[in-house]
Amino acid sequence: MTFTIAKRELQSLFYSPIAYVVLGGFAIGSSVFFIQGFQPGRPATMRGTLDMVVWLLIFLAPAISMRLVSEELRSGTYERLMTSPVNDLQVVLGKWMGALVFFCILLSPLLVQVAVLEVVAEPELGPIVTGLLGLILVGALYLAIGVFASAWTQNQIIAFLLTVFIIAIPTFAAFFLAEEAALKPALRHLVLYISVNNQYQDFAKGLIDIRNFVYFLSGTALFLFLAVKLVESRRWR
Amino acid sequence: MIEAQHLVKWYGPVQAIDGLSFEVPAGEVVGFLGPNGAGKSTTIRMLTGYLPPTSGTATIAGHNMLTDSRAARRKIGYLPESTPLYTEMRVSEYLHFCGKLFGMNRADRVKRIDEVTDKCGLSHNKRRVIGQLSKGNRQRVGIAQALLHDPPVLILDEPTSGLDPQQTLAFRELVQELRGKHTIMLSSHILPEIERSADRVIIIANGRIAAQGTPAELRERASQGGAVLVEAKASPEQMTHTLQAIRQVKAVRTEKHGDWCRAVIHSKDQSDLREPVAQALSAKGFTIREMHLEAPTLERYFVEAVVRRGA
Repeated sequence: MTFTIAKRELQSLFYSPIAYVVLGGFAIGSSVFFIQGFQPGRPATMRGTLDMVVWLLIFLAPAISMRLVSEELRSGTYERLMTSPVNDLQVVLGKWMGALVFFCILLSPLLVQVAVLEVVAEPELGPIVTGLLGLILVGALYLAIGVFASAWTQNQIIAFLLTVFIIAIPTFAAFFLAEEAALKPALRHLVLYISVNNQYQDFAKGLIDIRNFVYFLSGTALFLFLAVKLVESRRWR
Repeated sequence: MIEAQHLVKWYGPVQAIDGLSFEVPAGEVVGFLGPNGAGKSTTIRMLTGYLPPTSGTATIAGHNMLTDSRAARRKIGYLPESTPLYTEMRVSEYLHFCGKLFGMNRADRVKRIDEVTDKCGLSHNKRRVIGQLSKGNRQRVGIAQALLHDPPVLILDEPTSGLDPQQTLAFRELVQELRGKHTIMLSSHILPEIERSADRVIIIANGRIAAQGTPAELRERASQGGAVLVEAKASPEQMTHTLQAIRQVKAVRTEKHGDWCRAVIHSKDQSDLREPVAQALSAKGFTIREMHLEAPTLERYFVEAVVRRGA
């Protein structure tokens, strides 16, 4: 059932114009980052590109997820879906998985860039593999936040902004506060801990640390759980 | 098969449904009638498990919608109001998706999709994208989807809205074909649909049952107080004078049509006035060229029921 919903979600993503805007935006954006770092004498890595791509995802992931539930609420198909014998978890997981597969397809231009590096130099593949794995984890978390936000409202724009907002809080907190000298060490530690970009750093460096996995997987599970609760509560409104 | 017991629904401070109870036995086609805002869709949403009732229970094929919801939902083929569909999908794709949600395997789906598209007159449109279909054909997709898993209970919310007269006729034939195999609940605010398809009609207004019975029973009850229309060769004054002389007549309204005069006559005691009117007019030698009992429609009864409830 979950896969049925995921498959339909993926299909319908490809039918929507926003999907192509996102795919195009990512291909162009990541290529610009790549070309900027693609200079003679510079190390042959994807690190610079991947670091920037994480920033790009703050806007692109919500654009993928904003329609997941909102569109069905708006068009009324949600009623048919929820009166068929599926449970709320299947609906939420299905939608999230469909979006995650789309997200993986979105990352494909990065493989082309890796191939280019492979042709002209001898990049170290370890950090590239962990970097891509990390990106998928970032996507999984952002899309889980997106499903949650999308279940709030039938307005896609609001779902988009809410998702960006939730993602932006920890991201910008770290960006602006971490360098603040007056910040207590414990607080600085917390700010850095909740920052997605900071957690991603280890992956970009080629490290696989169980703590990073715990961060991303528990964050994803938390927002999927909240989304299920929200969908459940809709039955009672 | 469908059972509602003391259903109550509050939307915040607004009470939409006020203690609705009814039962639809297996195989019956029941019409669910009411003006917009009467609570038809709210009731249907509680029966299909989309909305939980504030209190009361809905039972489908023996499964309580609240405690055994998925088993109950499996028994229902549902067409929500205004036929929401995934417009970007093709008809067959969409039907496959619906079949999968109900746990049908591929062979079953292929077989049933052929059957239901044939039944609903969609055979030629299976490959079309739903968004490009006409309103009538979309409605057919919605009905096909409800029939797909061959559910014992069919709940169709406004199934004929947006259909042209020919499609409406086709739909009526479809209901006729399904009669007996499914328990069917049709909602509408268009009365003739219900009058012709339904074994029994439940009329609701302001969240309560205003009246229920077979269309014939309701027509019988509605006919009380019916008026007689007569057209005879006389002047309006002569007509009024002659007709007022009849004992049971309460009021006469006349209208001149050349040499002829048309009169609408209401009785005092709800008796049939045709005979005394005919006798009185022929006794005076006025030629009658038309006379009939103003057809008491269900619609009229229905409006009266709503007015009574509002009072």
